[in-house]
Amino acid sequence: MRAALPALGLRSKLVLIALVLLVMPWAGYAYVRAMEQLLRENQEQQLAATARTVAVALQDRPRLLTPPAGTATEGEPTAATVHDEAKTLLAGLARPGLRIWVIDSKLKLVAAAGSLDAPAPPGAPPVFGPIERAVHFALRPLFERMFRTPAAPGEELIPDDVIFGGRELERALDGAPTTRRRPAPGGRGTILSASHPVWSGESVIGAVVLEEDTDAIVSLRNRAFEQLVAVTLVAFSAAALVLLAFASRLSWRLRRLRDEAENAIDSRGHVRALLAGEHARDEIGDLSRSFSTVLARLADHNAYLEALAARLAHELRTPIAVVRSSLDNLRLQGGTPGGATYLGRADDGLQRLEKILTRMSEASRLEQLVREGEREPFDARAVIESCAAGYSSAYAPRRFKLTLPDAAVPLNGSADLFAQMLDKLIANAVDFATGDDPVELTLEREPGAAVLRMSNHGPLLPAGMKERLFDSLVSVRRHAPGDEPHLGLGLYVVRLIAEFHGGRTNAMDRADGSGVEFEVRLPLV
Amino acid sequence: MPLRIAIVEDEPAIRANYTDAFRAQGYEVAAFAGRAEALAAFRVRLPDLAVLDIGLGDEPDGGFALCRELRASSQSLPIIFLTARDSDFDTVAGLRMGADDYVTKNVSLPHLLARVSALFRRAEVARVPPQSEDVLVRENLSIDLKRFTVAWRSRPVELTLTEFWMVHALAKFPGHVKNREQLMGEAHVVVDDSTITSHIKRIRRKFAAVDPGFDRIDTVYGMGYRWKADG
Repeated sequence: MRAALPALGLRSKLVLIALVLLVMPWAGYAYVRAMEQLLRENQEQQLAATARTVAVALQDRPRLLTPPAGTATEGEPTAATVHDEAKTLLAGLARPGLRIWVIDSKLKLVAAAGSLDAPAPPGAPPVFGPIERAVHFALRPLFERMFRTPAAPGEELIPDDVIFGGRELERALDGAPTTRRRPAPGGRGTILSASHPVWSGESVIGAVVLEEDTDAIVSLRNRAFEQLVAVTLVAFSAAALVLLAFASRLSWRLRRLRDEAENAIDSRGHVRALLAGEHARDEIGDLSRSFSTVLARLADHNAYLEALAARLAHELRTPIAVVRSSLDNLRLQGGTPGGATYLGRADDGLQRLEKILTRMSEASRLEQLVREGEREPFDARAVIESCAAGYSSAYAPRRFKLTLPDAAVPLNGSADLFAQMLDKLIANAVDFATGDDPVELTLEREPGAAVLRMSNHGPLLPAGMKERLFDSLVSVRRHAPGDEPHLGLGLYVVRLIAEFHGGRTNAMDRADGSGVEFEVRLPLV
Repeated sequence: MPLRIAIVEDEPAIRANYTDAFRAQGYEVAAFAGRAEALAAFRVRLPDLAVLDIGLGDEPDGGFALCRELRASSQSLPIIFLTARDSDFDTVAGLRMGADDYVTKNVSLPHLLARVSALFRRAEVARVPPQSEDVLVRENLSIDLKRFTVAWRSRPVELTLTEFWMVHALAKFPGHVKNREQLMGEAHVVVDDSTITSHIKRIRRKFAAVDPGFDRIDTVYGMGYRWKADG
């Protein structure tokens, strides 16, 4: 009876434990966020510093902010109207992704340089190992959905609302340097702007605005995330694989130990030593060794039990001989009048006792015979045919239904023992049979095996006893007073003899539930 | 002069019971509890028949040793093993020691007495040839009921008393099936079925030793055994 695999095996458990590794990306995520924050602040400070530098540069050159009169068109500042010198100044500072513009105190654009076009995308992704690259490649669609890469073309023109509606411009013109983030047009990324007032003496004559998109940081962050996910997945898979291998080996060893322990005691009660993990120096080795110790003790106990019936029979025979010879002497002397009744009863009791002894020694004698007996070919069909004739008269009025194959059924073993097995099976069937239905005895030839079936109408087998019915000293009979003693050795003898012939026994209820069936399966010659 | 029986048995109650029973039958009885004691007495005077237990006190095989020594002193002295041991191994060993019979202790006193008197008759006949013969002849088989001997094709077959009675029971009515209970009754034993099977096997083997083609004892499975008539 092998137990089904446990619902949650060692392997599954260890893999579950490996899930703890999934905390890694969370920690990484927090770290990347902190880095991003740092970078943003850094960028902000840099931008503010640059703005201040430009503003200071413009501070003492108010004419740069005052375009030549007459060339300006009210409300429509264009690059054309801006002074060339300012433009040159700004152009020197601008770089791709950084836009600088200057307005005067009337919010008129004086000069602008640079564009928000993202700088060339960062070079090839950082070099991963081949596994990571494979993971990265496999997860690309996922990454692209998770982290939208802000590859937006920057705005070409400075939107009006930035100039006229921007509060930071107002504040800059009021004399306060400001930084601000605004969403890039089209919702793609964020634009960081820093504005600084341009002083001329005590008054603000304009403002410098620096704009930079945050694409670089965002894509840096995204790359970090991607890498993190890839590395985590690879680490997780590797760890899970290692754990899986370890757990597999562990559970393989345990299962081997279990299987060996289960089969360590064969059907005859003989115990084999355990080999699994015998020399291992870990806990499983310990377990195996202590199993072996327990099994060895069990083997001793079994041997003791096996010998018990024989020894008991032997030991009881002497006191019985005392009683028997005393009774015989009493009878030989004629005895007292009326004593015959008691003598008779004592004899009855003695006979029952002797029957028990006979059964016990019969079983142990058979055990010996089965171990050493010689085998010779015989025809099972002929033996059954001959036996059945005897049974009909011996068990009258019980009827028998005999079904035999047409051809001989050659077996290798002992016809005497085979007949003895039949005797026990028949006696069992007759004892349990109820009603008038005949006891059915069937011999069939199957490929490679002869199958003997004995079936009778009557009570079903008690639940949970099917496996043990053929064991020594197991009886499921209810005992009636004055009944013959039942030691539970009959079916044990059947099993011994079946095993002697290389076969095995089986007990089951009839398919229709009307009785029981005993089956003996023996290999053909 | 009454016949003298020696009983060597370490269990006092059994010893006393058997002693009483034999005395009641008119035998003279010498009872011993151990091997040394019995041997000392045998050196002085051999009994006419010995009943030996195998396990004697501390000596598990004391009876076997005693049997060997008795046999050395006398080839014809009838010896019966009476023991609690009933394994085939012990039976064979006991008979190989030269015992005439081997019975287990659950034998009843009348059965035992029948055996003892049969063995005495056999010994007696061996000493003094009987005036009248009582021989049962079945073709090649002849059974001498006075001497308790059996011959097959005129060659003697050495049988124990139990085996002799069984062969006689079978051959009396050739072709008739004798079941195990009947055989036990005829042989004055109460044993289990497989012991009968062993006896029959031994008998067949003994006949086969004289005539390898011997096949007269037929097993009728489920019923018993029968002596097959010729042809």
